[in-house]
Amino acid sequence: MLFAHKRFVLLAGLLFAAPLAAAADASPTDPVRQGEYVYRAAGCYGCHTDEKHAGKPLAGGHALATPFGTFYTPNITPDPETGIGRWSEQDFLRALREGLSPAGDHYYPSFPYPSYTKLTDDDLRALWAYIKVQPAVKQTNRKHDLKWFARARSLVGSWKSLYFTPGAYVPDAKKSAAWNRGAYLAEAAAHCGECHTPRSALGGIKNGMHYAGTRDGPENSVVPNITPDRKTGIGRWRASELAEYLETGMTPDGDSAGDLMAEVIDNGLKYLRKEDRAAIAEYVLSLPPVEHSVRKAKKPVKKEEFE
Amino acid sequence: MKHPRICQRILLASVCLVAGAAFAAEPEDIIKYRQNVMKANGAHMAAAGAIINGKVDFKGQLGDHAKALQVINKDINSLFPKDSDFGETKALDAVWKHSADFQKRARDSAQKADALARTVAAGDSKNYGARFKELSDSCKACHKDFRKEEQ
Repeated sequence: MLFAHKRFVLLAGLLFAAPLAAAADASPTDPVRQGEYVYRAAGCYGCHTDEKHAGKPLAGGHALATPFGTFYTPNITPDPETGIGRWSEQDFLRALREGLSPAGDHYYPSFPYPSYTKLTDDDLRALWAYIKVQPAVKQTNRKHDLKWFARARSLVGSWKSLYFTPGAYVPDAKKSAAWNRGAYLAEAAAHCGECHTPRSALGGIKNGMHYAGTRDGPENSVVPNITPDRKTGIGRWRASELAEYLETGMTPDGDSAGDLMAEVIDNGLKYLRKEDRAAIAEYVLSLPPVEHSVRKAKKPVKKEEFE
Repeated sequence: MKHPRICQRILLASVCLVAGAAFAAEPEDIIKYRQNVMKANGAHMAAAGAIINGKVDFKGQLGDHAKALQVINKDINSLFPKDSDFGETKALDAVWKHSADFQKRARDSAQKADALARTVAAGDSKNYGARFKELSDSCKACHKDFRKEEQ
């Protein structure tokens, strides 16, 4: 009780004028509002908007540097020529559930459909309802710039047979409703594991390393271990601290999130309902701890070497 | 009695002058210094946040943390001199390449820290949370564009 009360005071203190607004009182009968909530939780804006170059929302062109080359995210505004304006709802559902384009081509898994496939039909339909009423932007997609071994799109089919399991999230009846909600949000919508779980040389998620962090994150970032390991993960964080972090970006040490995670929070997670952020925190901290350090080895760099 | 002390001072001053003229810090030392100042910054943020959010009851100390934040954030840009961009730093090249933008962000943090310190000094407790959040958002906004997550 005391704990719940404290958390309330703390969140009430932190929320203020935060634009958590629209999404928070989404009525289940309004698919566009529900879709906006899914859109925030799923972080569509972050990858599909080239914010660094003042790109228009969802018009694509955001460069995602990976060990396989650089992917340029596509335009998903409703523009009929350069966006997805000619798509049907079925096309949209198939893209997110199966990683297939309307023409039947495989999408590279830089588009996190292995996570989005876990979204419920209801949430996927709502997301489509929201996406299709966004402003159309005419902006031609830029071709991916991939390394030779990643260029054949047909190989993605083999990749899928190894690493991709389609199907909506199945709740675990042994766990609480909050835990299941957190699992759904983290695994299906927020797709935490797409960045926080290390991948094999073939780009598949490594077994037993769920959320254990990687030095080969997108855009050359080092992605932290977020398992509850006390030494190399976030095992010293309390659930309330993690929930706060997902809203404000401030860690229990007073550091501020930067880089990609700041983007994920600013454009997505801070708009979620506080009980949803708490559910994500509960779920993440319930996972098996994995001892895995992603700290870079000290590399003595002298300026002279670069001149 | 007076005379030797003056001598001492003159001696000290000349030593300082000579040292000053020859002084050129190692980039690695500047980076380490910057990281330590930033750690102190974060520590005061966490401490102030815990008080403001009612987790702990050290209300009497809030003013000290707010003042520390005000002082530390006065000129963050000065912690990033030229040539401190190589080595063990998470600072992105953008700090120096887009120096005007970076300075704008640093000024924003200075203003936000100033506002928090004034609000706390005035005892305007209902606005502590709002000022604190503005400062925290300012930190995040700068980290988003100018710091690489590397470890």
